[in-house]
This record gives sequence, C-alpha cells and structure tokens, in this order.
Amino acid sequence: MSIIKLNNITHSYSNAMILNNLFLEFEKNKVTYILGESGSGKTTILRLIAGLEIPQKGSIFINNRIVTKGETIIVQPEKREIGFIFQDLALWPHFTVYENIAFGLKQRGKKHIEETVFEILEFFGLTDYSKKFPHQMSGGQQQMIAIARALVLKPTILLMDEPLASLDVKSKRKILKFISLLMKKYNLTIIYVTHDHREALKYADNIAVINKGILQESGSVEQIKNSKNEFVKYFLEY
Amino acid sequence: MKNNSKRHCLSTMIRQQNIRIIYLVTLILLVLFIVLPIVNVLGLTFFGVGFSENFKELNNDLLSLLFKSSLLALSVAFFSTISGVILGFILYKTNVKYRNFFKLLILIPLFISPYILAIAWKDLSFFVFNSIEYDIYKKYSYFAIILVHSTIYIPLSILIIGSSMTNISKQLEESALLMTDFPNVFFKILIPLIKPAILSSFVLIFIFSISEFSVPSYFGIRVYTTEIFTQFSAFYNHGLAVLQSVLLIVLCMILLLSEKKHISESTFLSVGTKGKEAKIYDSNRLNIIGFWIMITVVFIMICLPVIVLILHSFVDGLDEFVKAFNLLLPSFGNSILLALLGAVCTVVIGFVAAYYSVRYNQNTIDRILLFTFAIPSIILGIALIKFYNKPYLNFIYSGLGIIILGYIGKYSFISAKIIRNSLKQIPKSMEDAAKIQGVGYIKRILKIVIPLIFPAIYAAFIINFLFCLGDLGTTIMVYPPGTEIMPIKVFTIMANAPDSLTSSMALIVFIFTILLISILFYTFKKILTEYNVNY
Repeated sequence: MSIIKLNNITHSYSNAMILNNLFLEFEKNKVTYILGESGSGKTTILRLIAGLEIPQKGSIFINNRIVTKGETIIVQPEKREIGFIFQDLALWPHFTVYENIAFGLKQRGKKHIEETVFEILEFFGLTDYSKKFPHQMSGGQQQMIAIARALVLKPTILLMDEPLASLDVKSKRKILKFISLLMKKYNLTIIYVTHDHREALKYADNIAVINKGILQESGSVEQIKNSKNEFVKYFLEY
Repeated sequence: MKNNSKRHCLSTMIRQQNIRIIYLVTLILLVLFIVLPIVNVLGLTFFGVGFSENFKELNNDLLSLLFKSSLLALSVAFFSTISGVILGFILYKTNVKYRNFFKLLILIPLFISPYILAIAWKDLSFFVFNSIEYDIYKKYSYFAIILVHSTIYIPLSILIIGSSMTNISKQLEESALLMTDFPNVFFKILIPLIKPAILSSFVLIFIFSISEFSVPSYFGIRVYTTEIFTQFSAFYNHGLAVLQSVLLIVLCMILLLSEKKHISESTFLSVGTKGKEAKIYDSNRLNIIGFWIMITVVFIMICLPVIVLILHSFVDGLDEFVKAFNLLLPSFGNSILLALLGAVCTVVIGFVAAYYSVRYNQNTIDRILLFTFAIPSIILGIALIKFYNKPYLNFIYSGLGIIILGYIGKYSFISAKIIRNSLKQIPKSMEDAAKIQGVGYIKRILKIVIPLIFPAIYAAFIINFLFCLGDLGTTIMVYPPGTEIMPIKVFTIMANAPDSLTSSMALIVFIFTILLISILFYTFKKILTEYNVNY
C-alpha cells in the first residue's frame, strides 16, 4: 500500500529542469532508497514531499490526501507528519541538545515537554549530553540528535537526505542498524536519499533510481538488481 | 473534503502574503520617504522654473572644477586602495604581533568625522611653519585633502580587501607556492583573486571622496561639492545646486553600475562566520617588517593628529578647552540619541533587505539602498529639505525625523551588506528544519535567524551608530535650527572661532567618539566570545 504518491511532477530551478513528469510511489512502513548521481533531483524529491519546494506541475498525495497541487501547497510542511533529516543535519548551533529537541514540541504547544525530551534522549543514549551544544559532540552523536529531533514529534514518514555521508563506515553501519530498529518501534516509512548503491542494496526494501530528473526504475531490491535499464545497470556496476 | 482543501489553499496564500508583507511595507516606506523626495527634487530641477537659466551656469568653469575634484578623488582612491592592499595583507595574511589590536586601532579614522582630522593636520602645519602663511597653506592644501581623505578611507579599503583575502582558500596559494616564489604568488595569484575587492574599494572611495565637502571647505579649497554647498546655503539657488549635483550623481552612478557586480558581491566585513581557512604567511622577517609598518601607519594616522590636537588645544592654557567642553556639552545627548535611532532604523531596514535578497531573491530594496548610498549626502539633504518643507510635513521637517531619514538613505546599504554576508553563511536547512517542526515565519526569524547572525547585526549596529554620530554631510543640510548636534556644532563654529577653541572641540569630539567606540567594541568582543563558545 502506498503512503506517498508523486503524480506527474515537473520541477525546475531557474531554467534548469530538475524533475520531469515524475510518477513515483512509496510503500508504507518500508525503507525506500532513492539512488542517483549528484544533481539528479534526489534531494528535490524529498523537499517536494516535505512541502519545502513547490513544483511547477503535478500533485503530491500523502496518506491518500492531496498535499500539493500544482503550484499550491495545500497542506503545510508541519501538518504532513513528516520528519526530515538534512544533509548538513541543520542542528541549531545556538541551542543545546535539549533545546534542539524541545523546540518543535514547544512550538506545537505540547505538554510534558521535559519528560518527552528525556525519554527520547534516553532511548538514544544521549541523556548526559542534554546541556551540551551540537559542536561539542562527535559526528555520530550529532546524527543521533538530528534523528531524535525529527522523531520526537512522532512523524509517520522520515525523510533522510544523505545524513550519513560524512561518517566513517563503522559509525554509518551502527546508525543504519539503529534506524531499522526505530522503524519498527515508531512504525515509520523511511525515504532515504543516497548515491551509495551498495548501502541501498543492503538496507533498502525498495529502491528508486533517478537520472537527470527522470525515474529510471523503481521496485524491490531484487527487481532493481535484475533491471534491464541501461542506466540502472551502469549505476549498480559502478 | 473540497471545502477543506479550499481553506488550506487560502491559509497558504495568507501565509505567503505574510512573508511578502514585511518586504512590501519596507519597500513602500522607503520609496515614500526617501526615493520620492529624490525624484521630486530632480523633477523640480528639470521641469521647474529657472531650468534654462540654471542650465547656462553649467559652464566650462564648473566642468573644470568637476575635473579637478575628480583628480583629487582619483588620487585619494588610488593611494587608499594601494595602502589597503598592503595593510590588508599585513593585518589579515601575516602573523604580525598585536595584529588584532592593530585591526581595531586602524578603524578609528573611519569613524572620526573628516573635519576633525583636517583640523589636526592644519594645526600640524601651524607648528611646522610656525604661522599659516596663505601661499604655503594654499600650496599644501591639495596635498592635505588627499592626506586627510586617505587617512579616513584607508581603513575602509583594509576592511574590504582584508576580508576578501581571508575568503580565499589557502590551497589556492599553497599550490602556487609549490611552483613559484612568494612575490609571484602575491602578484599572479592573490592580487587577481582579490581584484573585485580592489575595484570595489577604488570605486567606493572615489565616490566618498568626491562627495565629501567638509575637508576642502575647511582648507578653503574650491571643489565641486563646496560649489554645490555654496549655491545651496549662500545663494539659496537650490535649482542650480541640484542641477550641479546631477552631474555628480551621473558620474557616481556610472562608476557604481560599471562595478555593480563586484560591489554587490564584495564582502566588506565578515562577522561571526568561520569561512574558508586562509593562508597565513608566518615568516619572522615579514612579521617584523609588518609590525614596523603598522607602528608607522598608526603613528601617522592616529597618534600624530591626536598629539597635535592636544598641543594646540592647550596652547593658550586650559580656558579654551573648558569653553569648548561647555559649548559641546548640550550636544552629547542629542548626538547619541540620533545615532542610536539611526543605527536601529538602518539595521532593521538592512536586515529586511538582506534577508529577502538572500532567501527570496528579492533585490529591489537592495538596489534602492545602493542608489541612495551612491547619492552624495549633500544632494540627499537638499532632496529631503525640498520635500518635507511643507506645513503638513512639518512634524518630520522640524524634528529629528528628517535627520533619521537622511541616515537611513545614507547608511542602510552598509548594514544590509554586513548582514547579507552573514546570512549567506547560514544554511537554509536551519530554517527548513524549524518550518517542518511547525515554527511560524516570524518566530523562525526571531528564534533561529536573528540569534544565528546576531554578531553581524550587532557589528552593523556599531558601525552605523558611529557613522551616524560623525555624519556631517547630510546632517548639516537637514538639521532643524536650534538642535544641538556635535559635528554641526564644531563645523559651524570653526570658521570664526580661535584655532585653539576649534582644536579643543575637535579633541573633545575625538575623545568622546573613542570612548563610545571602546564601549561598543568591548561589548561586541564579549558577544563574539560568547558566540564562539556556543558554536
């Protein structure tokens, strides 16, 4: 069952076409990797789903509800039940770990903020770091804070824009395993953008391969492995 | 379902309008209060009574005066920019002893009103020649204008060129150093890379110098701006004054537009950002030479004028100094209040211009600010007077409002520049992350954007506060009679007062400004330290 549907999406920056008549669906409670070279439009797909970009054409559905139609955002980003982990993590440097996580809760007028924050910090093993600032923590710990910040608002969809690109292999592996645990605990649908096909083949349920804004192939890992598409074959060989 | 979706669409539209509304309101206010007066004065000049008579006055004599003024401004721009390259290199690319202290010290002349330094250098000639003989005085006055203007504008050049040097990745120089020697790297790699900053510095200093009139006026040299000022304040021929100004505006705009790209992209000042790791040339020989050059420059540019002012102030005993203090006392409060209001307004407008330019690619306000910045102060002043001197606009004309409008027109561009540089370093994802969490537009600005660029906002505030405090060009044209303002008080009194009184007043203004600079920079340093700890 699909949770997100991109229907005939066309998007461009200035005069450069980023996505061209894209049709793509994402299955519920699955990890879908979007694979492609740099500049192929992977990040734009995430930003469109989140409502941070407005397409020139097409519509986007989340949970069968239209959220973007043409150049109109119908459902605002914060109402889409989405968590977003940015490539640069976007941890607010002037806030402590605690404040980074609590900020969204406060804005939404939630109750028992302190309890909720410490609960998630404990789950991530970061309780002792609550008063520290992001720059005082290691790369791996910063990733954890970014994930915790996204999950504390209990999203149903987690969008991840190559957040682990700067990590060493060991830390990366550790966090990826942790993410699959989270997925089960929070009943999450994860869309993960990367250009690392090995990582995708290992951790994905489904894969979508994009090239120059055009969807080349999407399906299960097995389907992608056996794809006849020239670009997919070239990309997986590389 | 359909109704729901309509409601969502409407709320989206309102949201997007909210985002635009701040920009639109600022734009409309700027156009109404500052651009309209300028357009009005130009219209009156070209389409009003007396245009043909005034046009005949634009004769060869005036053109040769413009040529003479351009030559003076060219000399200042050339000398200041060359000095800016050398001193910028010493301060930003070497490990010269006390370089941070020198960086701060060298900024002082930029914030001191030009006439203060003019008084000091005239006093020095008094000591050197023992009496001010008219011929000697006249002979050296051109040189004195170049010297005083260069002293003021060299710090600006250092700021522009130095921050450009720090933005060059060290790998670019290091890879060249593997192939050739230092002079070649300096002239063939570093200089071409900072060419936009060099050109920006040259053009801006030329415009500042050709528009400045207090120094030539003090030295009694007839230049283009003093001629405009005479037409305006002595002959009350506003039409001719504006018509003469148009030539100057055209010259400034041609220069600005030819270098628009470089000027709008040059860094001016980078605050609170880490930037690229710059190459530092840490050789003992270079550090020692650099140190002595800085000592000499600081002595000539700051210490010597101050010593001379002190000596000349007390040449007739303490009486003149006390008299000067009593004369200036009522103006301190007014000057601080005006500078504070001016700084706040210019920072707010600068922020709006910078934010919308960086985030939404809306550059209209930016362009307006560049235009009003390029217009010589004297013309901005005439435009404001002509426009607001009406019974129903008297509340602006006869109050502090007209001075604040002058400051906004003159200095908002500077705060926009400084804030823009800092905003460009903040990834958009910082705001996007907040947006996804449901943080509204205003709150995103207040809680995320402003705290992240606060050092730059504060730096813009300090710089514009000091510029407003020392502003003479616009203030002298628009200040309401009876308003006591520090620079005006000194400038109006210095033509008729004894030299020792003028020097005492200049010294007091200097000390007062230094005191304020010290307080502001001390708080700034504390803020920077706090931000570095937190980041």
